[in-house]
Amino acid sequence: MKVHNHNEKLMQNLHDQLGKNFDAEIYDDVAKHMKNCPDCKIYVDSVKQTVKIYRVTETEHSVPEDVSERLFKTLKIKRNHP
Amino acid sequence: MKLPKYDEAQVVKKAKAGDQWAIAEIVEQHSRRIYNLALRIMQNEEDAEDVLQETFLIFIDKIHSFEEKSSIGTWLYRIGTNVALGKFRGKSHIDPEVSIHDPEFDSLKGHEIRDWPNHPEKELDPDSFNACLKEALKSLSEEYRIVFVLRDLEGLSTRETANILNISVSNVKVRLMRSRLFLRDQLADKLKCVERNSYESA
Repeated sequence: MKVHNHNEKLMQNLHDQLGKNFDAEIYDDVAKHMKNCPDCKIYVDSVKQTVKIYRVTETEHSVPEDVSERLFKTLKIKRNHP
Repeated sequence: MKLPKYDEAQVVKKAKAGDQWAIAEIVEQHSRRIYNLALRIMQNEEDAEDVLQETFLIFIDKIHSFEEKSSIGTWLYRIGTNVALGKFRGKSHIDPEVSIHDPEFDSLKGHEIRDWPNHPEKELDPDSFNACLKEALKSLSEEYRIVFVLRDLEGLSTRETANILNISVSNVKVRLMRSRLFLRDQLADKLKCVERNSYESA
């Protein structure tokens, strides 16, 4: 269901708010807009939550032993710490 | 036997001269990060292993010409990303630039507002939730997934991502926005988040 017809530029600004390269002028505009727009607030919160969930649940895997063995075999070098 | 202390500058110098111990040391120090990067991008273990092997084959082939303008880790990371990208390009054509009016994403312009639970991870059991996250990420097309992985999971800046992928900064932004919306909507579907019409509820 389409409920909110903001332009693409505003949507990109909202996404910039979630990233690192955020500029203070854009922040003021977005913050002002979000104060009066509950839809945008839900929108930003839900996207933020999605990104956060992915970051939190991402696990670092060790390289499986057999994968390491095949890697060194392919590279034709001996392991220093087998 | 006392193992030599890892000093990256020294190890790189030796590796450039062809020292096998130093080459093996770099492979051991950096294989975990490259493997995890490859798993996130490729979304399957077999392809991730291929990326890992190809990355270090290139490393051995090119180490003598490594100019040390960046750390060895950054250099390997860039090789790994390009190898992964090359695998996608080998499988299907990926446009270097994505149109802002891509019909594939017509339904994902951020206009659909859904109520979102405060802790969506509590809505499903952990295994189902993780499977749902994985499935959503896997169903995102490669050219979008790689941007989401580099920007949101690996923490690269927009410019770094654009440089690695050889696309414009604005295209990184478009792809990132669409990736996030796609994932959010996929999760919302799984979690059965309620669609809310702001005009009706006002």
